[in-house]
Amino acid sequence: MKLGGMWRDAIKALVQGPSTQKYPFERLKTPERFRSKLTWDLTNCTGCGLCMKDCPANAIEVVTLDRKAKRFVFRYRVDHCTFCGQCVESCNKNCLELPEDDWELATTNRQDFEVYYGNEADVQIVLDGEAETGA
Amino acid sequence: MATHNPTQKAPERETFKIPIGPQHPALKEPGHFEFAVDGETVTDATVRLGYVHRGIEKGVESRTWIQGQYLVERVCGICSHVHATTYCLAVEKLAGVEAPPRAQAIRSLVAELERIHSHMLWLGVAAHEAGFDMLFMYSWRDRETVMNLLEGITGNRVNYSANILGGVKCDITPEQDAAIRAGVDYLEERTRHYLDVVQNDTMFMRRTKNVGTMTREQAEQMGVVGPTARASGVPRDIRVDAPYAAYKDFPVNVITETAGDLHARFVVRVNELFETFRLIRAILDHLPEGDLQTRVKRKIPAGETIMRIEAPRGELFYYVKSAGGETPDRVKIRTPTLPNMASVLELAVGHQLADMPMILTGIDPCFSCNDRMITVRDTHSNQRDVWTWDQLRKYGMNAAQ
Repeated sequence: MKLGGMWRDAIKALVQGPSTQKYPFERLKTPERFRSKLTWDLTNCTGCGLCMKDCPANAIEVVTLDRKAKRFVFRYRVDHCTFCGQCVESCNKNCLELPEDDWELATTNRQDFEVYYGNEADVQIVLDGEAETGA
Repeated sequence: MATHNPTQKAPERETFKIPIGPQHPALKEPGHFEFAVDGETVTDATVRLGYVHRGIEKGVESRTWIQGQYLVERVCGICSHVHATTYCLAVEKLAGVEAPPRAQAIRSLVAELERIHSHMLWLGVAAHEAGFDMLFMYSWRDRETVMNLLEGITGNRVNYSANILGGVKCDITPEQDAAIRAGVDYLEERTRHYLDVVQNDTMFMRRTKNVGTMTREQAEQMGVVGPTARASGVPRDIRVDAPYAAYKDFPVNVITETAGDLHARFVVRVNELFETFRLIRAILDHLPEGDLQTRVKRKIPAGETIMRIEAPRGELFYYVKSAGGETPDRVKIRTPTLPNMASVLELAVGHQLADMPMILTGIDPCFSCNDRMITVRDTHSNQRDVWTWDQLRKYGMNAAQ
């Protein structure tokens, strides 16, 4: 019989106590490269739509209200997103970011999964259904 | 008074068929097995697969080249990186570009870390099937080390999406280098302990020694791949036979065993872990400098290619065809479980029914990976047709000419 090693493990674990974290009171630090909810910055966006085209989950839609005046609205479906990070790579202007800390996304309201980024007035136009949407 | 009549024939022994599955046949994946038994001994075995056909190949055809990578990554939850790597390498081959050396080395590095994760997961599952739950729990606990490393490097525990057409997304920083080395040191020490348990534990030896023995001839005849073949003494490893990514610069020693039984499959996989640890250290020691990505055009020139990679379970095969557009024309995937599955049916005969879960787990099966469907259509009449093995063989030979 050669069970000595395994028993040592078992006894060690017995005195060690549980290793489960007491979430939500204790939180593990997420790794720097962890991908959570996408953020979009309007400043450099040219409305090229590469992020929308490359998204494998159809989670992104860039609504162009006026290309010359740089009036874009970014519609992001969190529930569709697979957090693969392709959009961040596709964007030539570094407008997109997947931060590591915004990962507590569970909600009971489906509307919360639809996120709009952009100027408030422009977002309202899109929400009112006055802008032409669709890729 | 009962008299014995010597002319009366003894009734023929009835065979009893035991259906197992499709729900939860030993593993938590669907597959249907039928074992004909004589008492407790299995005399015949059949399998029916295809319960988790997800239409991934067709799905890739309706996506762009870039989107396709994330879909094939989801073929397997355990070896997701090798699927994405095979796809990327195939597409890059079609596009006529090559990822920079640093990207190739990182691809190999993540693939090797994934091999550790897969083998340790398998060790746990196989131990669980043998009734050795203690080994299962501890090997899965230690697997967390490599999962955390992968999360640190790529940002995710599974479906890492480390690849991108033309390179990789993630670099290895000096801190990560140190973390990987520390993690690998810990895992090496633990693996030495597991090898000791696998080789010396009496109960475990009884469950594995001389069970499901496959000779080298049988292995070659059935075309088994990966550690299952190597446990029968077939030195078959794509990393050596057709080096891809960075394996030309970081050669691999093929680990083989000759016994061919379940025990040999355990020893091969655990010993392979040591080779993987060595390889990871070698890649970190000589990680080439340079860019991580090279540009790949959105439209891939028309053509077709194949790509083979050594996944943790064996040879993974991709056939990719482009018609010159932004979407693939055809992507065919063959995962290592499919060639290995034939060996399960062959080896089952003559063994106890209780050994079946162990023999099945011995090949490290992944059902949802291998479930695909091919419909043969007559191009003239547009009629569906079912082909026999001989017809398929003849077709293959004609097509090859």
